[in-house]
Amino acid sequence: MQEIKDRATQSGMDLDVEHRILLPDGAIKYLHAVAHAGRDSSGNVEYMGVVTDITERKRAEEERRTLSRDLQESNARLEEAQRVAHVGYWEWDLETGEVIWSDETYRIFGLKPQERPMDLATVREMVHPEDREALYRGVDVEIDAGVHPVAEFQIVTPTGQVRTVRAITSKLWGAMSDDPDNESSGKARRLFGTVQDITEIKRAEEAHHTLSRDLQESNARLEEAQRVAHIGHYEWNLIENCVTWSEELYRIYGLPPQKGTIDAATVLEMIHPEDREYVFREAEETIRSGIHSKAEHRIVRPDGEVRFIQGLGTVKRDASGRAYEMFGTGQDITDRKLAEQALRRSQFYLSEGERLAHMGSWACNLVTREIFHSSDENAHMYGFDPSQGPISFDSYYNTIFPEDERVLRPKLENAISSEADYDVEFRIRRSDGVIRWLRGIGHHDPSQEIGEYVGITMDITERKRAEEERERLRQLEADLARINRVNMMGELAAALAHEIKQPIAASITSANALRRWLAHDPPDLERAQATATRIEQDANRAAAVINSLQSFYRTGTPAERHIVDLKEIIGEMTVLLRVEADRHSIKIHPELEADMPKILANRVQLQQVFMNLMLNAIEAMKDTGGELTIKSHANPEDRLIVSISDTGIGLPAENAEQIFDPFHTTKPQGTGMGLTITRSIVESYGGRVWATPNQVAGATFHFMLPGEPEAHL
Amino acid sequence: MKSVAVPTVFIIDDDRGMRQAVQDLVESIGLRAESFATGQEFLSKQPTSNPSCLVLDVRLPQMSGLDFQRRLTEIGMQIPIIFITAHGDVPMSVRALKSGAVEFLTKPFRDQDLLDAIQQALQRDCAEREQQAEVHELHGRYEALTAREREVMGLVVSGMLNKQIASEIGASEATVKIHRGNLMQKMQAGSLIELVRMADNLKLVLRK
Repeated sequence: MQEIKDRATQSGMDLDVEHRILLPDGAIKYLHAVAHAGRDSSGNVEYMGVVTDITERKRAEEERRTLSRDLQESNARLEEAQRVAHVGYWEWDLETGEVIWSDETYRIFGLKPQERPMDLATVREMVHPEDREALYRGVDVEIDAGVHPVAEFQIVTPTGQVRTVRAITSKLWGAMSDDPDNESSGKARRLFGTVQDITEIKRAEEAHHTLSRDLQESNARLEEAQRVAHIGHYEWNLIENCVTWSEELYRIYGLPPQKGTIDAATVLEMIHPEDREYVFREAEETIRSGIHSKAEHRIVRPDGEVRFIQGLGTVKRDASGRAYEMFGTGQDITDRKLAEQALRRSQFYLSEGERLAHMGSWACNLVTREIFHSSDENAHMYGFDPSQGPISFDSYYNTIFPEDERVLRPKLENAISSEADYDVEFRIRRSDGVIRWLRGIGHHDPSQEIGEYVGITMDITERKRAEEERERLRQLEADLARINRVNMMGELAAALAHEIKQPIAASITSANALRRWLAHDPPDLERAQATATRIEQDANRAAAVINSLQSFYRTGTPAERHIVDLKEIIGEMTVLLRVEADRHSIKIHPELEADMPKILANRVQLQQVFMNLMLNAIEAMKDTGGELTIKSHANPEDRLIVSISDTGIGLPAENAEQIFDPFHTTKPQGTGMGLTITRSIVESYGGRVWATPNQVAGATFHFMLPGEPEAHL
Repeated sequence: MKSVAVPTVFIIDDDRGMRQAVQDLVESIGLRAESFATGQEFLSKQPTSNPSCLVLDVRLPQMSGLDFQRRLTEIGMQIPIIFITAHGDVPMSVRALKSGAVEFLTKPFRDQDLLDAIQQALQRDCAEREQQAEVHELHGRYEALTAREREVMGLVVSGMLNKQIASEIGASEATVKIHRGNLMQKMQAGSLIELVRMADNLKLVLRK
């Protein structure tokens, strides 16, 4: 004020100031002073003016200013509240169709605040198509009914984001709502409302729903799982010493499910008397040590039925380490227990059966050499003690005789590669030195892995021994028969020798005598004559023996000759010699011409010929095995030629013809007469017999019989 | 040798040609020969006192030559044997020779071998017969002794002195001397040594 006054005084300007004065009662008044400056005669500045009390006006101004500031602050707070709460407001002038949105409303709809003016069509466009119709239907009715409709709907922001919003609508009756009369009589001119983004809330709600549903389902599933698995759970409050059971646990104990707790002593009562102490001890141990307990025990249901339970338990402790609860499960394992008992029983019967039958069972993979199963008897058979732990495949396999293994291996390999079953016999030497004969039968299911076999092992030692004994006896019999034959031949030879030697020796002696008669002086011609006559007689006698020997083969043959079918004879001989051939792994192949001419011959003699030649062939191959082939063909001169080939040791390099000589033999027990007799018989038919070496191995014996069968037919 | 008769060779062989041939050969060297088909035939013939031998075939129809050899021993018929056979073996020949055979020949044999064997057999038979005759003679002399003389002879050849013999038989020494003189004369023994040899030949079973 002083400044203004000083300045005015100096410049002589008019004054127009407002200022306060302090009244003696302490009240403050606002004054408006207006003064006009003039000069007095002395030239001094003189002011003349009026002072107006403007205290009232000033107070009203001050009030207005405060109100306006409060309104601004309130608006700002509203804006902030809207923003934080994701709540915006809107106005809709029903007459002009003009729409006003708050900033937050713009934000909720995914727009920048006041980005553009709003109109109904734009708003409608932004509502999710699915909700559009439902949102606007019946709004008017509700508004008219005086209800503040609440609508939840989805909107789509320009970026395509879907949001869920809640809108609450109320109506405004006038422009400023300062005309209460219009409310009852007139039509609402404006709608006002809020819109809230409840996307997050909705999502949280849904998540909550899902969670609680999942929890319920999970509980239901647990219950179901417990029911199906016969597993129940319990919580044993160690402080109160009472127990809470799941429904299934009640069922397991044969009780109707109920809520609430059971006294621990009651639970103990239900445990089988013989198991009570054990269960109690286990529980104490678990509480003491904290190790998870696992106990199998019996319970007695109210109806007296005994069930097997497997109980698991773990202890919960508070911060001080005191055990306050034991939590665990109880599973009804009665069926499993009974099945186990039945299985043990049937396994016992099976193993007893195997033991009695000397038969073991096994399952393994021959390729990976893995054993899946080997019955006790199976292990015993191989000389192992199954109680000493599992026995490896190689332990089993290495007991096999090396020479038997050499035969066995290709058979197994063959079976594996062709996915076939096998049946083999072999010897083993057990670790205690005992030798046994085993038979193994393996079965392969083609749906299994390669080399996977199940099978049985049988101890066939007794059978093998009996077979060997039989074979030995058979061999002995054959040897005896052979020796017999040899002896007979020997006797025959000796008899022949004696018969022939006698007259020859007599001739020689007589010849000696003759010379002595002639040496007499004078020579005794008479005696010499007689002696010479006797020499002649003895020599003739020797010839006669030989003649009679030949006629031994020839006598009566023409009468005994019949039409014979060589094929039939070969067939008979093949059958007869098959056993002998098989014993030496020799195969007999008859390769005969379809229309072999029948010939006139003595059946027994031809049998003898074939028997000799085929036996020789078998003898030649008996150490090596091989093939015996019989071929026949008739040549144009109607001569029948039969060839018998072997793949054996072949003919001697020199003097091959000697083999036909009497008593020529290469066999320790041979008579040396086989080929001689053969030749004698064949030649008696005017035929011929000879031998040729084979190109690769062995020899072929041929014989030719002159035919002319037609003439005899 | 008291007898000068021609020795005889007997032949047993079932083979007619053989036995005739052997007989012929034997006769060609001037010996007598007789042949038989079987041993029985030979035994049924009156035995000869002349030196003889037997050519025997091992292989005979009823009884083998070896069995027949044993049979002859059993009946006390001592005749040297030559075996012939068409097929002899070593064990058979050993057995035959051990049983006293002269020779074992395999047919056909060399004629000289047989003839040599026959000669050897005949010589053996002559010697045998001589000894037999001597024993026979001694036996006759011995038979002529009195019982007392035989007793004294036994004691004398056992080496006793007269005095010992006298005490043994309970007679005087003079009596023993008379017995001794008589028996020496009867036995035609020139010395004590000769008497001992005779006693040996007689195979006297001496007491003590």
